[in-house]
Amino acid sequence: CSDFQKALKSEDTAMKFKLGTEYYDAGKWNKAHRLFAQIVPNYAGKPQAEKLMYMYAMTSYNMEDYFTSGYRLERFVSSYPSSEKREEALFLSAKSYYELSPIFSKEQKETIEAQEKLQLFINAYPTSQYLPEANKMIKELDFKLEKKAFEIAKQYNTIRDYKASVKSFNNFLLDFPGATLREDALFYRLKAETNLATASIEALKEDRKEIGISYYNALVKSFPNTKYLDEANEMKAQLENLQIKEDSKK
Amino acid sequence: QNGLTKGATYIVRDITVTGNTAYSPQTVITYSGLRKGEKVVVGGEKIGDAVKKLWKSNLFSSIDFYFVNIENDSTDLEINLNDLPELNEVRIEGVKKGKKEEILNENDLKKGKKVTENLITTTRNYLTNKYKKNGFLNTKVNVITRKVDNDSIEKERVDMLVNINKGEKVKIKSIDFVNNEKLSDKKLRKAMKNTKQKFLFRVLKRSKYVEEDFKDDLVSVVDAYKENGYRDARVLSDSIIYNDDETISLQIAVEEGEKYTFGKIDFVGNTVYSDQQLMAVLRIEEGDTYNGVELRKRIADEEKPDGLDLTNLYQNNGYMFSTINPVEVSADGNVIDLEIRISEGKPAYFNSVTVSGNDVTNDHVIYREIRTRPGMLYSRADIIRSIRELGQLGYFNAQAIAPEIKNPNPVEGTLDIEYKVEEQGSSQIELQGGYGGGGFIGTLGLSFNNFSLRNIFNKDAYKPVPRGDGQSLALRLQASQFFQTFSFSFSEPWFGGEKPYQLSTSLSYSRQFRFDPLSRRANKDQSFNIAGITLGLSTRLSKPDNWFLLSQAISYQNYDLKNYFTGLFNFGNGTSNNLSYTIGLTRNNTNVDPIYPTGGSNFSVSAKFSLPYSLFNNVDYEALRETSDAINAIPPAQRTQAQTDALAAADQERFRWLEFYKVKFKGDWYTQVAKKLVLRPSVEFGFLGAYNNDRGIIPFERFFLGGDGLGNFALDGREVIQLRGYPNQSLSSGDGASVYNKFSLELRYPITLGQGAKIYALTFLEGGNSVNNFKDFNPFDLKRSAGAGLRIFMPAFGLLGIDFGRRFDDIPGQAGSRGNWETHFIIGQQF
Repeated sequence: CSDFQKALKSEDTAMKFKLGTEYYDAGKWNKAHRLFAQIVPNYAGKPQAEKLMYMYAMTSYNMEDYFTSGYRLERFVSSYPSSEKREEALFLSAKSYYELSPIFSKEQKETIEAQEKLQLFINAYPTSQYLPEANKMIKELDFKLEKKAFEIAKQYNTIRDYKASVKSFNNFLLDFPGATLREDALFYRLKAETNLATASIEALKEDRKEIGISYYNALVKSFPNTKYLDEANEMKAQLENLQIKEDSKK
Repeated sequence: QNGLTKGATYIVRDITVTGNTAYSPQTVITYSGLRKGEKVVVGGEKIGDAVKKLWKSNLFSSIDFYFVNIENDSTDLEINLNDLPELNEVRIEGVKKGKKEEILNENDLKKGKKVTENLITTTRNYLTNKYKKNGFLNTKVNVITRKVDNDSIEKERVDMLVNINKGEKVKIKSIDFVNNEKLSDKKLRKAMKNTKQKFLFRVLKRSKYVEEDFKDDLVSVVDAYKENGYRDARVLSDSIIYNDDETISLQIAVEEGEKYTFGKIDFVGNTVYSDQQLMAVLRIEEGDTYNGVELRKRIADEEKPDGLDLTNLYQNNGYMFSTINPVEVSADGNVIDLEIRISEGKPAYFNSVTVSGNDVTNDHVIYREIRTRPGMLYSRADIIRSIRELGQLGYFNAQAIAPEIKNPNPVEGTLDIEYKVEEQGSSQIELQGGYGGGGFIGTLGLSFNNFSLRNIFNKDAYKPVPRGDGQSLALRLQASQFFQTFSFSFSEPWFGGEKPYQLSTSLSYSRQFRFDPLSRRANKDQSFNIAGITLGLSTRLSKPDNWFLLSQAISYQNYDLKNYFTGLFNFGNGTSNNLSYTIGLTRNNTNVDPIYPTGGSNFSVSAKFSLPYSLFNNVDYEALRETSDAINAIPPAQRTQAQTDALAAADQERFRWLEFYKVKFKGDWYTQVAKKLVLRPSVEFGFLGAYNNDRGIIPFERFFLGGDGLGNFALDGREVIQLRGYPNQSLSSGDGASVYNKFSLELRYPITLGQGAKIYALTFLEGGNSVNNFKDFNPFDLKRSAGAGLRIFMPAFGLLGIDFGRRFDDIPGQAGSRGNWETHFIIGQQF
């Protein structure tokens, strides 16, 4: 029987605390976690509880059980408001939520939650050493939401529902004013409108062409050296040609 | 009390509590709200309130207040109370034992409960009504209480005796109407939905009298008049006549009034649709009999959310904010002029369309299925269709998909919509081991219906398998010492992501060995291998309507025999190839739940055929047939080796490339006949033919009718058709039939449709037959059966079920086998 197995079965809480701390310091999170789980109730209200609760929450964090660590760290923060570990715990609890945020193409409930928690941290410790990392995470989460809306709008263009695509890109540009994907959005909006105008009945072509050209101008104005310049110019030409065809009919 | 004058005021000196009560005086006084030193008025509010408060506590049977020791303007108050008795034991007579518990619970007759008059009365009334509702009109209920004598407890307690005399069930002998000239008794009786006269063949509804139902039915009678233009009709009186033979007769006197007709109908406020267009939907013309019920339905049919009515005309074309009100503008004589006032509002467009709750399935899989898209006109029909189609994907709980309209803005004419979904398990794992066929058989089956192929190398996506891209992947391995089979299939519903082209592929390979009677093991020298590959592409059509699905597939099978003689061929060494093309057209608008559809229909017609090799390969099949026929005529024992070889050679040539065509048709309808009851009639037909009669109908691809319909181990393209009540495949010859047809009628009732498990019961009536030759085919010469069963669907296990079927006809070749029962276990979905 190893020391660990003996400790697990033993009734000696102090020994478990000591051994658990050793495991914790050695980075053996799993073993420490199992020992701490047994003794947490025994230490409730005692002076050692602060350290124990912190370590217990941190084992969850290090074991990448972010769902639990987010919750435990948050509880630690509210139980020990004057703890010297408070800043770190608050940050890591927010980071735990960040880790739970799923890929952009799934529901983003956790992403929004994580943003809120990170913002609360920044408000509480505006000069924290963790500030750069927190900001980076917020940015990343922002981008996730942006990417989600962008990809949905882009998919409408792929499945040839150009109208829905244009509308969604317009919503995107309103909802994310400083979007990282702004250039791409402006381009794909132009692309969808060009497709729409081309596939239109004659009566609607004129209007859609006008709109398309205004979308071209919007792109080129904001991004004069856009990586899509060649393609965009091609589309503009395509839109203008549309007019010629129509004129020749008259 | 004598000498007290009403209105006199006294100051309370002291309060005492007397009488038979178990409560402490202090509690009673505090509860009464009276205090020492207070002024009270004789007959005034304070005393009155105190009585009320105490009475409301439901603890006392009597409460009296006395003014005692009145001196000048002060008095003592005496509160005299008697506790209500507590319930000790209850005895119930006149009902079965099992019912007693139920009665005790429903009336809350617990030990220690205070027995008030109210309790006795409500118990009596409750029971009387309960039995009356079930048709025991003469029910008499007696509730008697008796004090418990020699009680060791000081409180007063009583025993209760509930005597129930249900009497005979009272049936309605006749329902008669008085003063009805315009509508016959029969017609009016028919209008009464729940109150029916006694009738020998009435099965579904019994002729019992239930007062509530009767009252409802009187309304139905009036409605029947209203539907026929008698707007003023009313029921004057209704009476029950008790007959001597324990039956009753109902007599209903009506006043019919005048018949009304529709006069002019004007539409007011319509700009989008012309009067003619609206009229075409309304379908009511001047001079028609006035029918208020129908009018309401034509404006908005509450029962059919997708019905053709005026409201839907607007709602399905963007006018979300529209309202429609019919107003009677004049009723001159018996002619009613109507004005249908329409407020159209602005057409509404979807602004943002979102999905929430998809923590497994990726956005792109969901958004492409939703028919309401940003910038599109609002349409209720599109929302309904989207819910249906999301449900049919099978990734979400179909019952829980909820669209939520957000931020409706009548000024801008916009709205947002959010579809709330709830993920459900859609993977199945099968792991089996067991003895059968002379050895151990192991099976491993995996089926993932929301697979993500691109994440197959992403180890983080394994929770427990990569999911969320809507692809399906199935893998199945089965092995014993005599056979091994392997099959794999994959499909992607939106191949290329641009259009709903479903690409599906499947691979299969099987290998079987003969049993060696000497070693009792597999003989590896005798083997039969079948390998197959199928590639299919299917696409949704937009014409004739967008429920159609066109599918095409190319499949190839190779049969390789090594010293292996089967009933299929006359050769033991050789190969046979089956290359065929299948084209099918399906229309499926069943809704909503794919496991338990309650509406819509599902049709499919398909044709599968090979190339007509005999037209161009210059083989003289006539000669080959003659050779085989001639040799086949000789009993096998008398054939020479040369003849056997010649037969084998001839057959090898005939079956080198299989030549055939096969046509199938299938149709299912689902209709909700009563609240939850669903009727499913279905019909199917299949035919396998040959281009060249000398080559004949191939021994593959045949139909096997009868039994549970589960395709068991066979890769010769056979189709196993379910026909319950008969043993498996008993209705076709051993080699399989080339024509079959089947009719079936199934009535289903859901027991639960929760997310954890969906369970429904069913009864069926079916008939079918199969023959080897089209000449012998008679679609009405059926082998019939009937029975009942149960289905359980659990996401992790798929569909499981059991059916008991009784056959009405003999199994071919087994005279006298009719009338027997057959039990079938069903695994997997049956269509």
